[in-house]
Amino acid sequence: MSRMKLKEVDRTAMQAWSPAQNHPIYLATGTSAQQLDATFSTNASLEIFELDLSDPSLDMKSCATFSSSHRYHKLIWGPHKMNSKGNVSGVLIAGGENGNIILYDPSKIIAGDKEVVIAQNDKHTGPVRALDVNIFQTNLVASGANESEIYIWDLNNFATPMTPGAKTQPPEDISCIAWNRQVQHILASASPSGRATVWDLRKNEPIIKVSDHNNRMHCSGLAWHPDIATQMVLASEDDRLPVVQMWDLRFATSPLRVLENHARGILAIAWSMADPELLLSCGKDAKILCSNPNTGEVLYELPTNTQWCFDIQWCPRNPAVLSAASFDGRISVYSIMGGSTDGLRQKQVDKLSSSFGNLDPFGTGQPLPPLQIPQQTAQHSIVLPLKKPPKWIRRPVGASFSFGGKLVTFENVKILSQQGAEQQQHHHQVFISQVVTEKEFLSRSDQLQQVVQSQGFVSYCQKKIEASQTEFEKNVWSFLKVNFEDDSRGKYLELLGYRKEDLGKKIALALNKMDGPDVRIKEEKQESEFLPSAAGTFNISISEDIDGLITQALLTGNFESAVDLCLHDNRMADAIILAIAGGQELLARTQKKYFAKSQSKITRLITAVVMKNWKEIVESCDLNNWREALAAVLTYAKPDEFSALCDLLGTRLEREGDSLLQTQACLCYICAGNVEKLVACWTKAQDGSNPLSLQDLIEKVVILRKAVQLTQTMDANTVGVLLAEKMSQYASLLAAQGSIAAALAFLPENTNQANIVQLRDRLCRAQAEPIPRHETPKIPYERHQLPKGRPGPAVGHTQMPRVPAQQYYPHGENPPPPGFIMHGNVNPNTAAQLPTSPGHMHTQVPPYPQPQRPQNGWNDPPALNRVPKKKMPENFMPPVPITSPIMNPLGDPQSQMLQQQPSAPVPLSNQASFPQPHLSGGQPFHGIQQPLAQPGMPPSFSKPNIEGAPGAPIGNTIQHVQSLPTEKITKKPIPDEHLILKTTFEDLIQRCLSSATDPQTKRKLDDASKRLEFLYDKLREQTLSPAIINGLHNIARSIETRNYPEGLTIHTHIVSTSNFSETSAFMPVLKVVLTQANKLGV
Amino acid sequence: VSVINTVDTSHEDMIHDAQMDYYGTRLATCSSDRSVKIFDVRNGGQILIADLRGHEGPVWQVAWAHPMYGNILASCSYDRKVIIWKEENGTWEKTHEHTGHDSSVNSVCWAPHDYGLILACGSSDGAISLLTYTGEGQWEVKKINNAHTIGCNAVSWAPAVVPGNLIDQPPGQKPNYIKKFASGGCDNLIKLWKEEEDGQWKEEQKLEAHSDWVRDVAWAPSIGLPTSTIASCSQDGRVFIWTCDDASGSTWSPKLLHKFNDVVWHVSWSITANILAVSGGDNKVTLWKESVDGQWVCISDVNKGQGSVSTSATEGQQNEQ
Repeated sequence: MSRMKLKEVDRTAMQAWSPAQNHPIYLATGTSAQQLDATFSTNASLEIFELDLSDPSLDMKSCATFSSSHRYHKLIWGPHKMNSKGNVSGVLIAGGENGNIILYDPSKIIAGDKEVVIAQNDKHTGPVRALDVNIFQTNLVASGANESEIYIWDLNNFATPMTPGAKTQPPEDISCIAWNRQVQHILASASPSGRATVWDLRKNEPIIKVSDHNNRMHCSGLAWHPDIATQMVLASEDDRLPVVQMWDLRFATSPLRVLENHARGILAIAWSMADPELLLSCGKDAKILCSNPNTGEVLYELPTNTQWCFDIQWCPRNPAVLSAASFDGRISVYSIMGGSTDGLRQKQVDKLSSSFGNLDPFGTGQPLPPLQIPQQTAQHSIVLPLKKPPKWIRRPVGASFSFGGKLVTFENVKILSQQGAEQQQHHHQVFISQVVTEKEFLSRSDQLQQVVQSQGFVSYCQKKIEASQTEFEKNVWSFLKVNFEDDSRGKYLELLGYRKEDLGKKIALALNKMDGPDVRIKEEKQESEFLPSAAGTFNISISEDIDGLITQALLTGNFESAVDLCLHDNRMADAIILAIAGGQELLARTQKKYFAKSQSKITRLITAVVMKNWKEIVESCDLNNWREALAAVLTYAKPDEFSALCDLLGTRLEREGDSLLQTQACLCYICAGNVEKLVACWTKAQDGSNPLSLQDLIEKVVILRKAVQLTQTMDANTVGVLLAEKMSQYASLLAAQGSIAAALAFLPENTNQANIVQLRDRLCRAQAEPIPRHETPKIPYERHQLPKGRPGPAVGHTQMPRVPAQQYYPHGENPPPPGFIMHGNVNPNTAAQLPTSPGHMHTQVPPYPQPQRPQNGWNDPPALNRVPKKKMPENFMPPVPITSPIMNPLGDPQSQMLQQQPSAPVPLSNQASFPQPHLSGGQPFHGIQQPLAQPGMPPSFSKPNIEGAPGAPIGNTIQHVQSLPTEKITKKPIPDEHLILKTTFEDLIQRCLSSATDPQTKRKLDDASKRLEFLYDKLREQTLSPAIINGLHNIARSIETRNYPEGLTIHTHIVSTSNFSETSAFMPVLKVVLTQANKLGV
Repeated sequence: VSVINTVDTSHEDMIHDAQMDYYGTRLATCSSDRSVKIFDVRNGGQILIADLRGHEGPVWQVAWAHPMYGNILASCSYDRKVIIWKEENGTWEKTHEHTGHDSSVNSVCWAPHDYGLILACGSSDGAISLLTYTGEGQWEVKKINNAHTIGCNAVSWAPAVVPGNLIDQPPGQKPNYIKKFASGGCDNLIKLWKEEEDGQWKEEQKLEAHSDWVRDVAWAPSIGLPTSTIASCSQDGRVFIWTCDDASGSTWSPKLLHKFNDVVWHVSWSITANILAVSGGDNKVTLWKESVDGQWVCISDVNKGQGSVSTSATEGQQNEQ
């Protein structure tokens, strides 16, 4: 059984692992002085092997071999660096047969150097069996030999060792020596006689001697507790007492605990530094045990062969690895974590067979019997490698992210127990924290949401313009802002640098410069003079020159020829004038010919203007003139072609322009209202991974979408693939910052794109609000059934597809929403509900939200409205309040209007946006054509949406109106003593009314008359305080005497001394009446 | 970072893992007390939904499956078992037990849901097993023996990436996923595994930078960029960020995020893959973010002020270098 064996080396040797600090891990072996090998050779060597766990073979890679003249009783590897420049591998310290201690440089051994000995000292008497490095001061090494000799060596000053104190008497061999693991100046030594001595190096004397009374301890091993300073273990080699004793120096009269797990003497022990509950021991019973010295429990027995092990070591760096040297000439490396090495063993068997051909490797005269490899089933019955998990695999701390930017953390705080042992104090708490890293992003997103709710787009854009860092950014926001203003096209023109007033001035100036004001007047005069003169006689030439021919053509009514002649003679003006007379067709042809001949710089512009061919301009203008082209489109394009032309220009800029022009395409797309292309163009130019740059984009997109919704009823709801991607990215970012509600609000509504549907589902469920049972939103996934209980005969159901990606619904469960399933068989139930294939369901989503929704329809539970056939119950209460209407156009007056006439076609689309009439005035080309006059255009659409912010101010009005009639019904009579008030006031109002002349005053008085009802009501209910009643009677009396100033004084007194809420309903009107009466003198 | 909920789990021994479900509404915890617990933590509450008993040793990790398969939780334990638990009509029960490992099972991780229900399990026996649900309560097991000599400590799947992510797959055609996952082990290596056409798992890459046990690996979620990213942490105190830009996935370069003074046990990416939570043996949790110039910066020390933290002198013994 070698299932935990990792490596093996065929050597009878002492062994030392490289220190924990070193990487890779090496194992040094030095020929053991205790045992001759099979050849009885006296040769010795020091070898270094690398532990390469990535190599699956059992062989250990030998890095270097150094032939030595010494054999070793003890070998250790300390981390001390012998000089500043090299020796990264530390120092190998060997105890020899003849009182010698030799320091080797392992890095030189590995490098193959000949001079590998750093120093040597043979001060000891007899074999040096005990060596240990101080873990606090790694330059200090303790050694023990015969005659009670103990030396402390300073590797920096190796020549003269110190002693820990006077030699113990009687002289005895020192078999073990160990530095304390907690206190650096404490050392322990032990001898086969059974005595252990603890030395204090500061006092330079032994402080405690430990020995039990039966005197049968035969110390072969000594180890300090890794954590508790006062505890140590001693192992006994004596077969009569094969025990490990655990001592606590505070109770040094008898062992704290005795581990009696071995049947025969113990040869070596090793205490894990990584877990104080793991103590290895190997003995003459051929066992290697791993026990918990704190309880005595055997945690595991390593499977070994029948040979004794005389040395055992934990690997300092890899706490699961240990090595054991056995008398059969083998060093084996094991893992205590178990692990199947079937593959390894098979490999070895294969190796053997291939080498020996399965014949007779040892010349026994018999072929090898087939090797039995234990079966898997047998292995599964084997107990755990260790009964308890080692400390180093017990994860004490963890932090994991979850959806919504939440971080789940737990920790087990370390504390030191009273004995000094480290323990994990168990906190049973798990903390859920919200991680917010993008504060600016969140605050900007919040602002955007507020803007959408308050519809304050213009001021938002204005703020953005002011805050813009770049000219381009400023332009973009300016363009966006225009969408929400009157005369958007005109404003666009202004943004492009074409201000009508400025242009008018410039033209006037230019004309003045050229001719001067006098010339113009003269011209007019000339015209008027010319016409009468035409009434006089003139000569009609019919000569054969051009003039004559034209004349003849005209005389015969042949306009076409006349025009041709004029054109031929380059008399363009004549040609055009004649063509006008010759009719539309001729004019058109003539224009064409004119443009063909004319070479002026602005001809093409004029061509386009006259031919109404804006596509030509957009398609072929120099891209550096994109502003001019856009200006022309803004001025002339018909609404139905406007967007397309802007689009076209944008596309050209993007495709053909340099990087600067490419970004300008964004402006064209804003004019076009093309959200998807804006996203594409913007994304190309920006680094989209940064939340703030995504925020930059989303702000523009949301605003533009709002604008499009306000102006163009088409397309407002459809969400392009790219936009959907960006919006879901944005929502994901918001969610990751814990803003689940905001994320939901920004998520596009009218899309079946899988990523959005899934994200919406996740967001809805992540919202902590409990979802009403009967309205549990469906999971947007195909559900896969996992039968409950242990595997066995499957319960019910049709056959489960082998590939789980195919769908499967349990009966009665809701089908997934459309758009998610791309393939596979559809459950019959589902098919009945979905008339078209799921992939095309989005075509059935009505373009506008259902009328019965709440006014702020964005409050709807988003997960529920994907299957259009399933309407929500009328009384449905949304389970999840979503606080913003950002991606949903509901609440727009237009969409509401359209809801009211859903069957009507949408004739308004495309025309809605442009408040054109202004354009016909003041244009340079006025009179040539008026392409923009659109009869029958609904004027309301030219206004941005100001009134009708969803749900807001209407409520108050309604309430007020309704309150009056209900009160009339319940009226009681006014108490007789106060009736005088009513008659007095009403009488006064009547008098005022009869003498008042202007309607405004009359209206005021009428209103006052009504409002005083509040007073009368209070009189009926007798709820007014006596002070007020008295005051009112005083006023009434002053009215009787027509002393209105006195009445006003009393009025002021009442108001100033009474409770405002008690009197506010009628006192102000009473003042109005008194003031009017005073003014009118009635 | 602010604590919004403190869940008292009443575990009787060390907690080893705590994971929220897909929606962040339920918390699963596991402990050395051999139990797995599930809490409803909505609205800052903590309602114990289930106390799952079945493991015979400390339970190291829990993992939620994607909700499209129902409410399913996997747990792995020192008892060499992997148990898959399922909620059925409000009751949690064991639905499958995987006993194919010879030593402690240290890590479980569900594959991206697009692949079906597949669970990767890493064990101290050095093997990684892959459990695939094939229907009718049956799980098919594939095993990678000797994935990491003397032990696999962590497994983490690569996100599902299909060429042409945005375009809906034509109906009836199975997306051409390339399944990959990363593992880390006691051989100090990170290995990347890829499923071959024949369904066998092959070692695709060996990532070497750590000088001690790799304690955890975490493949970053896909955020639509062509770069693949993996975080790894180790007994050697180091945390590396590995990135691969080329489409073939063959060239990975490590960047040292930080060298801690103690073992680093766990790394976890935020859903948007821009923040890494690092939890270390000094019981400290830190959050890291890549700055504009590509450096990793600690943005937060998650310190809940839970009593004093003291570290004994021996604690760092294996980690100094």
